[in-house]
Amino acid sequence: MKLSALAAVVLLAATGAVQAQEKVVVYNWSEYIPEGVLDEFTRETGIKVEYSTYENNEVMYSKLKLQKGKGYDIVVPSTYLVSLMREEGLLHEIDHGKLGNIGNLSADLMDKSYDPGNRYSIPYLWGSTGIGINAKEIDPATITGWADLWDPKWQGKLLLTDDVREVFHMALKKNGFSTNTTDPEEIRAAYEDLRELMPNVLVFNADAPREPFLAGVVNLGMIWSGEVIMAQEENPDIMYIYPSEGAGFWVDSFAIPAGAENVDNAHRFIDYMMRPDVAAKAVEELGYSTPNRTAKELLSDEIRNNPVIFPSAESIRAGEFQQDLGDAMEMYNGYWEKLKTGS
Amino acid sequence: MKAFKRGFVILVFAYLYLPILLLVINSFNVSKYGHEWRGFSLKWYEKLAGNEALMQAFTNSLLIATLAATAATVIGTLMALAIYRYRFPLRRTASGLLFVVMLSPDIVLAITFLVIFIALGIQLGFWSLLIAHITFCLPFVVVTVFAQLNGFDRNLLEAAQDLGASESRIFLLIILPLILPAVIAGWLLSFTLSLDDVIISSFVTGPGFEILPIRVFSMVKVGVSPEVNVLATLLLAISLVLVTLSTLLLRRKKPQ
Repeated sequence: MKLSALAAVVLLAATGAVQAQEKVVVYNWSEYIPEGVLDEFTRETGIKVEYSTYENNEVMYSKLKLQKGKGYDIVVPSTYLVSLMREEGLLHEIDHGKLGNIGNLSADLMDKSYDPGNRYSIPYLWGSTGIGINAKEIDPATITGWADLWDPKWQGKLLLTDDVREVFHMALKKNGFSTNTTDPEEIRAAYEDLRELMPNVLVFNADAPREPFLAGVVNLGMIWSGEVIMAQEENPDIMYIYPSEGAGFWVDSFAIPAGAENVDNAHRFIDYMMRPDVAAKAVEELGYSTPNRTAKELLSDEIRNNPVIFPSAESIRAGEFQQDLGDAMEMYNGYWEKLKTGS
Repeated sequence: MKAFKRGFVILVFAYLYLPILLLVINSFNVSKYGHEWRGFSLKWYEKLAGNEALMQAFTNSLLIATLAATAATVIGTLMALAIYRYRFPLRRTASGLLFVVMLSPDIVLAITFLVIFIALGIQLGFWSLLIAHITFCLPFVVVTVFAQLNGFDRNLLEAAQDLGASESRIFLLIILPLILPAVIAGWLLSFTLSLDDVIISSFVTGPGFEILPIRVFSMVKVGVSPEVNVLATLLLAISLVLVTLSTLLLRRKKPQ
């Protein structure tokens, strides 16, 4: 009797100690997981979340690269970075058998060329780069595709995002090429096209394209879907158009760095984030789209039927996801410098 | 002419303080992005109070800035003094090397720090961050203090020595009071540098220790929230109180 009581105490203490140590280290953008979700995860699983933040993909990448994939258990790279990190052996393979909720994800956003079979990444949120327009100033019906931005009447009026891949995406798509082309001729053709577009450009914006729209400085230009949702809270006239040639799509995915110390907890975390109610909360709070089919059914009609968040199947088909381009990136960067310096 | 002078001063002040004033006003604005006034509200203050992660990052930042500035000021002042008063081998090289740190781009320093910390097996977090911050603040303190020392009358020191004062007495009673303004300036400069550093910090800090600038910059994905305006307003209020207090204290000390 006494002995078993002692054993019970020891057992309790042991599990207690284990629980106190259980943690998962998440490296992500700030506030990119809805409020309360992390606390709820800890309450349910006893796993403590250490949440660390980065301001762009490149900082995360170089830090992991220098630390040989150690230090963090979860990172949230964008599409092109998944393919790069996977090829460089920076990511740990994900055991789908440990992810009970994976069946909730829509096949439309799985098994893409940046990570065939999703062996290294599980999509979290996704969105697109399309055309933003202030419907009060410009009739949205007159703009249907990227090509419309080339109209000379927009001289000195457009906003472009300050991102070489996104800007080239427009011109490549306009010419019917892939956004991931490495063919020098195609890239050159896109560059020539973009040179013609430059007189129309008023401003390049790197991190908050909604701001110039809200301030009324621009009424037409490139914008990210999530930014439109944020802008609409303030000004409902700001609308989003999926260009007929195809919007640029991106996905931010959960991945486990190769040197992660808490691999099991990382799997539990990813699985938790795929729970329909949690995924639905992410859409409600962040305004980006979820690949989670089941979660979509939990959302209000207003959100579910908002084409900015959930584009039509047709728009998704027309669009394209970015991949890492390897050495061809140098060519893009060279042209990009020329474009921006106006030579 | 007088009107022009006054106008010019007003213009300079407006240029400096209007943006800050706008920020303070926006911290009370109902509207999220502050493009127009939508009414008075304290909701961002309430949200900030409930945002533990942001508050934690804020206090961490203040802690690191205070410690780094203090350590850099102590080490830097002694260093400046050493370069000024004593001859030792590599004296010129030492002061030259400080400029190298000062002029190096942040990103170079950041990668260097990270590589060293990894090589030495130092765990990234509070200590690595503190060491890095002390390092990049140090040259600024040395330069400020050294400039003050250069305009210093050496005869004072010799007179003190003639009268039999020990090195420590000379330092405490003569040098320190005379260079105090530069020391304080060096501290404040370091504090500011440490408080708003992003690039170096994001490389050398670990998951357990988050600081404010990184947290704020990482918000680009979801839009910087007005809670940041509130934080800035609070910071402004704190510094205003400190400045007022120190002015009052200094005024009282001076004989009428």
